[in-house]
Amino acid sequence: MMKLKRRSQPPPQETIVSLIDVIFFLLVFFMLVGRMDATAPFEVSPPVSTAGESLPKGGTTIAVAQNGALALDGEAIERPALLARINSILADNPGLFVRINAHAEARLTNLLPLVTALEQAGVGDVVLVVTPNPV
Amino acid sequence: MKLTRRKRNMALITMTPLVDVMMILLVFFMVTSSYLDLDMMPMVQTKAEGQAAPAAPAPTLLIRITASGEARLRGQKLTAQSLATALQAAPHARVLILPSGGSNVQGLVSAIEVATQAGAENLRVVRLEAQ
Repeated sequence: MMKLKRRSQPPPQETIVSLIDVIFFLLVFFMLVGRMDATAPFEVSPPVSTAGESLPKGGTTIAVAQNGALALDGEAIERPALLARINSILADNPGLFVRINAHAEARLTNLLPLVTALEQAGVGDVVLVVTPNPV
Repeated sequence: MKLTRRKRNMALITMTPLVDVMMILLVFFMVTSSYLDLDMMPMVQTKAEGQAAPAAPAPTLLIRITASGEARLRGQKLTAQSLATALQAAPHARVLILPSGGSNVQGLVSAIEVATQAGAENLRVVRLEAQ
């Protein structure tokens, strides 16, 4: 019987450059599409409205939970401490932009007095976060 | 005597660590970012305050939001059409929203949405006193 010899092939060279290209593309995509916000320590699903305007980046975020708990930039905080922090931020940055990310089911007694207090503290730009699509 | 430099192999740049670092960055951005589609509604705006100064006192339309979150205009359930009709009778009227403290944020946002759809220009929310 004749013995067949398999020709020894050199191992195929995987081009890693195309892999780098794809990963780099994905990286840039997620960096542009995503929003690097500090998430609140409680669940917040914003109210649904199609009448909202586009949300600018930057500023400080105050989250209001369904039970009225507050968080400033992802850190749970009590109301007097929150207002003190806002005052100290305002001293450095008078044109402070504040976003209020309130839960859709939060009572207005937990939201509207807070807005009044922020206005009295001297914050000139306060917006309420809404979403056009229900979560 | 002629000295010849020994030929060196070209140093190969290994791409694997670069891919590793990019992969870690990719996973980091995918996990930490939020991809919610968010919009905003202005609550306090000092810039717009200077513009709104009508010569004659404008008539006022009052929208009440009940504790259950239902918006009412003149005792009737608020719709974009009813408010638009009222605004036709009194153009440039000031629209005031008086919410009950027991109502929720969604009720207020829905009322503002209806008022915006009806074409209210001068919209204000009566805010409760700071505690």
